[in-house]
Amino acid sequence: MDIRPILSTLSRHKTAAGLIALEIALSCAIVSNAVFLIGNRLERMAQPSGVAETELVHILLAGTARDTDHPALAREDLAALRAVPGVRQVAAVNQVPFQSSSWNTSVNMQPDQTHPTLVATTYFGSEDLLETLGLRLVAGRDFQPDEYQEFAAFQRSGGESPIPSVILTQTLADRLFPDSEPLGQSIYAWGNRPSRVVGVVEHLIRPNDRLGAPNEREFSMLLPLLAPTEYGSRYLIRTNPERRGEVMEAALAALDRVNSSRIVIEEQAGTVEAFRDRYYQEDRAMAWLLVLVCVALLVVTALGIVGLASFWVQQRTRQIGVRRALGATRHQILGYFQTENFIIASFGIALGMALAYAINGLLMERYELPRLPWQYLPAGALTLWALGQLSVLGPARRAAAVPPAVATRSV
Amino acid sequence: MLQMQNVSKVYRTELVETHALRQFDIHVREGEFVAVTGPSGSGKTTFLNIAGLLEELSGGSYLLDGVRAETLNDDQRSRLRNEKIGFIFQGFNLIPDLNLFDNVDVPLRYRGLPRAERKARIEAALEQVGLASRMKHYPAELSGGQQQRTAIARALAGEPRLLLADEPTGNLDSHMAREVMELLERLNADGATIVMVTHDPELAARAQRNVHVVDGQASELESVAMPLRTHVRDA
Amino acid sequence: MLSYYLDLALRSFRQNKVLTALMVLAIALGIGASMTTLTVFYVLSGDPIPAKSDRLYHPQLDAEGMSGYVPGEEPAEQLTRFDAEALLRSGRADRQALMASGAVAVEPEDGRLKPFYADARYTSADFFPMFDLTFRYGRGWSASEDEGRARVAVISRELNDKLFDGADGTGRTVRLDEHEFQVVGVLEGWRPVPRFYDLNSERYGEIEQVFVPFSTSRDLQLSRSGSMSCWDDAGGDETGLNAPCVWMQLWVELGSPAKAAEYRAFLENYSEEQRAAGRFERPTNVRLRNVMEWLDYKRVVPGDVRLQLWLALGFLLVCLLNTVGLLLAKFLRRSGEVGVRRALGASRRQILSQFLVEAGVIGLAGGLLGLALALLGLWAVRQQPAEYADLAHLDPVMLSTTIAVSIVAGLVAGLLPAWHACQISPAMQLKSQ
Repeated sequence: MDIRPILSTLSRHKTAAGLIALEIALSCAIVSNAVFLIGNRLERMAQPSGVAETELVHILLAGTARDTDHPALAREDLAALRAVPGVRQVAAVNQVPFQSSSWNTSVNMQPDQTHPTLVATTYFGSEDLLETLGLRLVAGRDFQPDEYQEFAAFQRSGGESPIPSVILTQTLADRLFPDSEPLGQSIYAWGNRPSRVVGVVEHLIRPNDRLGAPNEREFSMLLPLLAPTEYGSRYLIRTNPERRGEVMEAALAALDRVNSSRIVIEEQAGTVEAFRDRYYQEDRAMAWLLVLVCVALLVVTALGIVGLASFWVQQRTRQIGVRRALGATRHQILGYFQTENFIIASFGIALGMALAYAINGLLMERYELPRLPWQYLPAGALTLWALGQLSVLGPARRAAAVPPAVATRSV
Repeated sequence: MLQMQNVSKVYRTELVETHALRQFDIHVREGEFVAVTGPSGSGKTTFLNIAGLLEELSGGSYLLDGVRAETLNDDQRSRLRNEKIGFIFQGFNLIPDLNLFDNVDVPLRYRGLPRAERKARIEAALEQVGLASRMKHYPAELSGGQQQRTAIARALAGEPRLLLADEPTGNLDSHMAREVMELLERLNADGATIVMVTHDPELAARAQRNVHVVDGQASELESVAMPLRTHVRDA
Repeated sequence: MLSYYLDLALRSFRQNKVLTALMVLAIALGIGASMTTLTVFYVLSGDPIPAKSDRLYHPQLDAEGMSGYVPGEEPAEQLTRFDAEALLRSGRADRQALMASGAVAVEPEDGRLKPFYADARYTSADFFPMFDLTFRYGRGWSASEDEGRARVAVISRELNDKLFDGADGTGRTVRLDEHEFQVVGVLEGWRPVPRFYDLNSERYGEIEQVFVPFSTSRDLQLSRSGSMSCWDDAGGDETGLNAPCVWMQLWVELGSPAKAAEYRAFLENYSEEQRAAGRFERPTNVRLRNVMEWLDYKRVVPGDVRLQLWLALGFLLVCLLNTVGLLLAKFLRRSGEVGVRRALGASRRQILSQFLVEAGVIGLAGGLLGLALALLGLWAVRQQPAEYADLAHLDPVMLSTTIAVSIVAGLVAGLLPAWHACQISPAMQLKSQ
């Protein structure tokens, strides 16, 4: 079908056609960005944490008296937990993934560097932490028993008692040593003494991955320090997924037997799987909201197209009859309205793509989002073309059903 | 050219059944100029709709230029309308959003003719009705007579075998009406077959033959027309 | 005349029920979505302490060492203990209070309840009068009690109810982290939104349940919480007086702009002095923001809430465009009617009014339905896990805004179509058919 006469007709109904085109443009722009945002959230939520989420139970006790022998208490706790039936591994820990608070340190490549290379989170706690977390070593080794020291002692030394070794995530290793083998190299974190990289783990997410840029999500390292119970006693227990509830109860009872004066911090007692669930709750809610908005936008736009097309069909009933009388088949009438809609949609989509990029620019500036991948644009265009065709089908079929005898009806 | 035998047309609504045509017979030969007359509601328009393949008949047979109309489906009838029939409506029925050129182009588009041929035909048709200089104008910018001449050009552009005119001068003043009638007569003189529906006896008198429709039935009247051909030659 | 237009509008709706419903629904959806998000935004970005937000200031100093110094960077958001205490002691403002957050194990005196943890604020005497807190029972503590490291506590009404079954708890004792404190005051409910005085933890959460003098908290080494940033080694004592760590907030009340200018000069002066004494290394870099400036700087409204607001406004725009298009089509279809009315003596203004009334009624109907949707939307927000969820309520201001916005939206949507309709000339319409 030749589009010139359709264009000529549209040019005489600029306002109405323009409004629909504008509506399509806005929908196209908003929907492509919203879908991109949804994708972003889903991607974030799907990121591996590196830890055995479904096998871990976390407990935090607080209220230990200040004059307690903390290292001894920690050792006692660990021994008691190991004895709990169903426990595979136990470790003390200073922080766990999917929490808002975290321990962070600047990392330098040289001593007395004035501007830190980057800031990374530090996991430490006790021996067996790497195994308890379920991390996958891709290079090097775990810490050796003689490398561990008490956090309190390390702190009292004023940073002079060296941390001999450190384990990095792959991401961190790649960032710190882009061109060389990380194992055996030294970094400076927490004080001015070098720590040698002895191992690299595949993944380990920061407790709070909202800190820092998305590509800093795995800026994590493990240190051979024993967690300070002064800040509360945190333990991670690894067990079979189906035994988590039972192990948790038994573990709490065991810890109570060690020292009954402590208070269980209820909101911190639970499975890491539940922490993840809670941590991403807002993202999930936002993703659903975006889905809802997209659907609502498309529905409203579709209704707008249906409404206007219906009016045009009504308005042109006689004209359609004349066309039919002059030999147009039903198909040709159908085609006319479909082509018309296609043209309007195309104008809207062209404008919408420009708008989508503009909105994306704003989002990049405000929300540190990446550039909208170009694939979203043809996908958005196809969606709106399809939406337009689908919406106009009803009115167009009504148009095609106009009998040619309308032409001879007296006015 | 056009032959109806025992044609009937019944409109059914939920409440009533209206017999618009019954045992309707008519035969129009090639090159004739036939006026179909009758009072309002007699079935003139129904006859026109059926003759022009705008509606299906309820019974009887209709032969148009050798084609059995009652056996055709919607698409085939569209095609036949497009190729064999030129319509001239009372209300002109030009498409207001298109200029004259595009209006005349409408039936040619549906026939799928190549661009150059369409252009040649449109220009020739507009030339024939004296509106070649106005082809970029829109219908609203023209007088009623000019609009009807455009509609005639549109009917002619497809080189139809049969021109169907429905009260072609009904919306025009006498001067413009005469202009249009003279054009139709000239076309007939050049060999076009014309069937004109009208309630105006004066107009009908100028056709070669009158068919009178009363209560959905046709009865032939002897023409009392003046010799048309002479008239045309005078013009 | 208005009643005539209303009558015409109603007739027009009856003629085109589906279309009218469509337009009303589109506006309602747009209004509902935008009002939901706008209300959340309005609640979250509101003034937490309207009576004196322009008189309360939050001083910042740049106490860090030269390592990592970038000229022009903002100074740290919190203060060192040394500076907070020094500024408090100087007493240069009308009122001043330093503070830090913590958590204490609460043991009811009769041992009837199991010990539990409660959020605590370690602060100084002016906290209560400066923030206009009202007491249900008792009072705050005095500066001399600060100095004397008195074991006194002010508790929230909820905690009082929990510990003392709603009876007046003043004069009773409560064990906090194994130390006995005397309850001197019980607060009435207070819920500044956002919790401006300390934005490090829950920005929209409830206030703390326990308030004790900061001096006492250090004396007893009560556990602190919240954000802490150290730029040098603290030797295991990050909360010590000379620790190179920022972890405290200070708020000051300054009654006039002149006093604020004076205080700023004082801060600069203090900073210079500290540098001269060798404590500060960086060039003087102080800030003195009032409450709203501070909230603005901290970008306190969550990014998702802003995003939702923009999203909803975009959606409203699409809904309005939709309505404009449909109204236009509807009005222009009535060209004949307009022509006849014009021929019968209606002026352009009258035609315009007629159509604007019709559009306005659609806007109003959409708005009322939108209001219902907004209430539903806010209910949905309250079911969300967000910490501000329980604050999402429609107040009278937003209620009237909603209705006003929807009528304006309807009128704006009707303006273009009505203007087009009133441009129709009577002659044209009557001539052609």
